[in-house]
Amino acid sequence: MKRVLALCALVAAAVTFFVVGRASTAEPVSVRSAGAHYAVTVVVDGRTARVRLDRGDADTVALSAVMPHMGHAMPEATTREREPGHFHADGEVFTMAGAWELSIRLTGPAAEEVLTVKVLVAD
Amino acid sequence: MIRVLRLAALLVSAGAASAVLLLLPGAAPAAAHNVTAGADLRIAQTIAGTELTVVIKGTARVPGPLRIGVVAYQPVADLPVNLEVRSVTDGRTVSGVARAARDPQFVRLQVGQTGPHELRLSAGGEVAVVPFRVLVDRGSGWDFLIYGGFFVAGLLLVGGLLTGALSRRGPAMLLAGGAAAGLTVAAMVVVLEPQLPTGPPDGAAPTAGPQAGGRPFVQSLLETVPASPVAGEEFTLRVALVDGATGRPVDDLTVHHEALAHLVVTSEDGRRFRHLHPLRTAPGRLEVRMRTDRPGRYLAHAELEREDSGGQLVTGSFTVGGRPTEPSTTEPDTTQAPVEPDTVGSPAEPDTAGPPAEPDTAGPPAEPDTAHPAAVPRLRPAAPVAGRPTTIELGTTEPPRPWLGMTGHLVVRSQDGAFFGHVHEMGSPGSRLRFTFSFPRPGRYLAWAQYATADRIVTMPFTVDVTAPETVR
Repeated sequence: MKRVLALCALVAAAVTFFVVGRASTAEPVSVRSAGAHYAVTVVVDGRTARVRLDRGDADTVALSAVMPHMGHAMPEATTREREPGHFHADGEVFTMAGAWELSIRLTGPAAEEVLTVKVLVAD
Repeated sequence: MIRVLRLAALLVSAGAASAVLLLLPGAAPAAAHNVTAGADLRIAQTIAGTELTVVIKGTARVPGPLRIGVVAYQPVADLPVNLEVRSVTDGRTVSGVARAARDPQFVRLQVGQTGPHELRLSAGGEVAVVPFRVLVDRGSGWDFLIYGGFFVAGLLLVGGLLTGALSRRGPAMLLAGGAAAGLTVAAMVVVLEPQLPTGPPDGAAPTAGPQAGGRPFVQSLLETVPASPVAGEEFTLRVALVDGATGRPVDDLTVHHEALAHLVVTSEDGRRFRHLHPLRTAPGRLEVRMRTDRPGRYLAHAELEREDSGGQLVTGSFTVGGRPTEPSTTEPDTTQAPVEPDTVGSPAEPDTAGPPAEPDTAGPPAEPDTAHPAAVPRLRPAAPVAGRPTTIELGTTEPPRPWLGMTGHLVVRSQDGAFFGHVHEMGSPGSRLRFTFSFPRPGRYLAWAQYATADRIVTMPFTVDVTAPETVR
């Protein structure tokens, strides 16, 4: 009798931990976007972001984030090319958790292009 | 032992219920521009000088086909519309050609993945880029619990029967208890499934749950290209939409009554009227080509709606120079509204309070088959009173065909253009249109009722004189 109860309690606890654990994990989110001249993969890690160039040859990459619901616009963040094709934002790009729209302005010999992605920033 | 079974069932139920509660905050995707199987996306476009509605039918899986058709609402002679669907995620592009027709053939374009896409439409030298998302339902994750529960129950029941047959009472009851628990979970989920939250479909935009308050207001900057249009010559009317809070282009318009924006252009005197559906040519930019035969000042009223927000009205005006020219026959819904006080009925005449269109007093109609010469609206009350509902009823020559999601549309403008209303027909049976509207102030209003027949859009202009409510004695 006691063993049955303990087993059932264990199952319930396992289900609960699984659900809670899955919901609260804040893994880096990556989104791809392709334009006419460039294609990028944006990785949002916490409050900052980095851009990997998948296509095109960009000299500079600048990020500007907007929270459309709130009407919040962040200053344009510059990035540093840490290794070829990998641009990391200087400092924080997002100020809070929520749904953001991130515009990636790429400039290079080919053209200037702005790609926009929607991302969910977790706590 | 029965108590053990009940307890087991109870505990498993509690576990399932806690899982349900913990999953409840799941966010539903926004419904803007989403293309899913079974939910068509319909977008009206004024392109190549005609009114078309592009219909995109979704796919149930990816890779899979999107079916795209172009419905014509005005007579068109074999108008090809080039279609190009591009995935914004990986840039993969597929293209095809649709023929605009009353009952169009649908073109199948294979898409490789879900998520954001762009449909590039080109016809008659004009190009529109319509953003949309391809969504595919993932199927309910709760199915796992239903099938899992039944599977476990079946397995344990067989085990219970076998152990029972071998006279091992304790283990048999335990297995039967497990089976009962499995059945309970499965049955619970079957019963509760309609209320259980499901995850967003594949390709949905990330959202942070329901947002209150909507989005900031839109400001519009209206310009014409060339800057000084001339009567009789084609020009482009361009509306730049800017977010009032961030100053960025507004590129989150949702489809509002089957269009990104409903742009009504009227001459200041009300003699010219166009109801247009401008093309999105770039983020935050809407454009439409038009031409008018009369110089003068024109008013533009555009109705639109941002994602997760209500409808908004943006306005502007522009001036057309030059000399009056012959009305062009390439503008099918150009029409005239007589607004000369001497020729219209007064509100004191009960049955003819709304003066009919009189093309003779307003110059030749742009295209005889689209102007409805004898539109005599029937008003109830016959002398409309400001602030009280007025019902306007008009007869139609042919059974109306739904256009922009409705049987009929009534556009109302105050004489000075400061007030604008767009009223929808309320589903009257037979060949008539009925609108109910409360005119806010006394005075004369210019009105245009519109409906689509099998092959054209009919516009019926008239005016309504609204009286002031009697003062309370």
